[in-house]
Amino acid sequence: MEDYFSYTAKLFNPDEADRKPEALKGIRVLDFSHVIFGPIAARLLADYGAEVIKLELPFYGDLWRPATYWGKYWKHSNPIWHNITKNKYFLSVNLKLKESKELIYRMVKDADVVIENFAPGTADAWDIGYEKISKINSSIIFLSCSTYGQFGPMRYFPGWDLLAQGASGVLTLNGYPDTDIFYKLPDYVGDFMPGNFAALSVLMALYHRKKTGKGQYIDMAQTEGLMRTLFHYTYYSVTQKAIGRTGNVDPTMVPAAIFKTADDKFLALACATSEQFENFTRAIGRPELSSDPRFSDTLERLKPENAKALHAIAVDWIRSQSCADVIRLADDKNIPAAEVADDYMIANEEWRRKRGSVVLFKDDVYGNLVIAGPSAMLSGTPSRTKWLARPLGYHNRFVLKKFLGLSEAEIEKLEKKKVIGTFDDRPGLKPPVYYDLSKDPIYNYGKEVGK
Amino acid sequence: MSPREEVYTRHGGKGGDRGKILAEMMNAEGKPEVLDDILVLDVSSANFAGIVAASFFAEFGAEVIKIEPPEGDPARLITPFGVTVQGVGVPFMFEGRNKRYMTLDVKNNPEDRKVFARLSKKAAVVIESFAPGEMDGWGIGYRQLVAENPGLIYIALSAYGQYTDKARESAKMPDTDITSQAGSGLPAQMGAPPNEPEPYTWPLRGGMWAGWYISGLSAALGGAVALLHRQNTGQGQMVDVAGMDSYSSMVGMPATIGFTWEKARPRIGVLDFILYPYGHWKCKDGYVAIAAPRDHDFRALLKVLGLWEQEDDWRYSSDRIPDILEQAIHLHKIIEEKTLQFTADELVKMALNYSKKSARSKWRGGGVPIVMKLMTPEEAMENKQWHIRKAFQEVEDKKLGKYTISSNFVKMSESPPRVKWVGSEIGGDNEYIRKKYLND
Repeated sequence: MEDYFSYTAKLFNPDEADRKPEALKGIRVLDFSHVIFGPIAARLLADYGAEVIKLELPFYGDLWRPATYWGKYWKHSNPIWHNITKNKYFLSVNLKLKESKELIYRMVKDADVVIENFAPGTADAWDIGYEKISKINSSIIFLSCSTYGQFGPMRYFPGWDLLAQGASGVLTLNGYPDTDIFYKLPDYVGDFMPGNFAALSVLMALYHRKKTGKGQYIDMAQTEGLMRTLFHYTYYSVTQKAIGRTGNVDPTMVPAAIFKTADDKFLALACATSEQFENFTRAIGRPELSSDPRFSDTLERLKPENAKALHAIAVDWIRSQSCADVIRLADDKNIPAAEVADDYMIANEEWRRKRGSVVLFKDDVYGNLVIAGPSAMLSGTPSRTKWLARPLGYHNRFVLKKFLGLSEAEIEKLEKKKVIGTFDDRPGLKPPVYYDLSKDPIYNYGKEVGK
Repeated sequence: MSPREEVYTRHGGKGGDRGKILAEMMNAEGKPEVLDDILVLDVSSANFAGIVAASFFAEFGAEVIKIEPPEGDPARLITPFGVTVQGVGVPFMFEGRNKRYMTLDVKNNPEDRKVFARLSKKAAVVIESFAPGEMDGWGIGYRQLVAENPGLIYIALSAYGQYTDKARESAKMPDTDITSQAGSGLPAQMGAPPNEPEPYTWPLRGGMWAGWYISGLSAALGGAVALLHRQNTGQGQMVDVAGMDSYSSMVGMPATIGFTWEKARPRIGVLDFILYPYGHWKCKDGYVAIAAPRDHDFRALLKVLGLWEQEDDWRYSSDRIPDILEQAIHLHKIIEEKTLQFTADELVKMALNYSKKSARSKWRGGGVPIVMKLMTPEEAMENKQWHIRKAFQEVEDKKLGKYTISSNFVKMSESPPRVKWVGSEIGGDNEYIRKKYLND
């Protein structure tokens, strides 16, 4: 039989991914959402082939367009926003105007999914909520994203990832015991994780609709998404004690922590099972530890006083080794270990590029940008990147002509009334300075463009 | 007033049906289960990403069989401080949702592998976390199983994935939460800024299983996409999730910033690299989270805290998110001096009162500074919001007794997820499974 890794290399070959079928082809999504939590759910659907039309306010756009790290732009765009909103169609209409609503109601007829994350009740107040939309298209799947949910006494409280982390308890867990030193989880993961939960719910609703023909309303609260990932509640209900903060030590395994090496690097090493622990004791030349009564039994080993003693042994040993040596030994002896990877390493490590979990993407408007690949690789219907984010209103003509059959004259009329619009001079909204939009066939869809 | 009535009376809005729609979403019982025709086999070992992915399918109604050797999945003993209830660890209890338990030792027993192969002919999804290639070597990997069952979705979890030279070289390295966190970039972004003492400046582990839960969620999401494709075409496929990708692939920032900035971000403590103020502060009786990141929110916060004289300081008027650490810390301290003078409740009230006025203002220039009392997980359990939304559920295991889990993570009007029972008995459903699936 063919060697496993040559078989899988063909099965998953990243060069062929773009030619494989798309699981969500033919699914149309209207994305009214902004910032990260809603948009990431819509993007995940787009990655698997859904046609996602993102609606933004003319000349203003998504609040997150200009929100780049320390104000550092890349080709007049927000580099990290590309990953959040790639593969979408960018339509800029003023949701509050009557004419815009007419456009939306027409689009809803052929749409499968609507996503919004305004403050609860706002979409209904603007007559683009589930109640109204489901009357136009009864099989619509309508996803409302919020921090605390659509009902309950806290529903109107505004929220961000920070507040979801604060309300679920996640925020208080990342730091050192008996100190004031603790931090929120970084990179707005309190938006990304619930955004993935939201996408999962939409996929389940699509599956249900195929079976029954029925659409549905989905109320995704990001705090509840985070709460689903904490067994701390169960620990408390069983012991009446809190797990609390445990610094760099994972209290569920031992040794399991982030350590400093002889060459002042940082790595994580963990032993999740007795087998891995025995491998570890042999690797550090202390095989007697696995028969030490304090450590031989897994649950005994995890008791705080024993875990502390074992952790100290691991700290001393790792401090005497170079990072590369520990990783090499761990690789040999089947012990989980990894150097702490930072931005630069993740962007540049060769294996990630080969795997496709980090991608150097060549875009028609922006040129080369490194972006993250998907977190799950599918052999049959892989996630893929087709284009990066676009300037505000970039797909106005494309969407209105192709999907709604509007004429150039009708579009010009809408432009004059400011029902639709594009960007102003702010970075994050406008195209790169070198890029000549007047020659872009998508931006000028249906018009003659100078070659 | 009952929670149901409260929803009715307070969400009526413009005389529409919104209140009714929402009230009907409060309960999952009696509604259809979307995956009620799906069989999932979870044969993952010592890996909670696999267990979590299986739970999500189970919560959406799939029949999920947890397959483990007679001595049990080592995951049963992965538990904080070694705390168990009758030998079952807390995370395993937490994830024991709507599952069946069967004993098969696929690692050591060739006969059990045959039973597994027979079962998998009837399955839609298989989840495993052995070393890449190991199941294949036992004759029950993706390529053997899919030959018998073309619609099979095979989810494999590992540290470095199922393909590439790196995956081959490091195939034997097991996947755990903390190595997944470290290898995919989370700890590098968390910790005290460089001017503070060690070990606080070290990269810090996320105090929850961020690695395993992200991998599990990604696996379930990939699996759900594959299920839709299977529904449309009958075709299955392989889903490959690598722990060393989990965090960086989900948030995307590390790869792009590493490329455009050509260096790694430093750790910046309680500050944020895009938004400010956006973090937590100490107050008289605990901590508050404050989010006032937009310009008008920030100005509103200055007013609320009596710091308006700072407004025209050049450092904060247009650039209050500098990559100059001293400058950012300076502003942080100014705000802290004020928050320390008030209790959390006072600060929340001050911000709310201001926001109410500003929301009613014709000019809308006021901004909405958000202040919230920081909660521990234990305090969050007491919050009325989650009682009304049934975010926590008291469950009872036949052997382990009553305990509380967080559940109902999304409300859906037609096919919501739910927890019907919890269980964790090794081999507890052997008979049931043999009768139902292995009689022919």
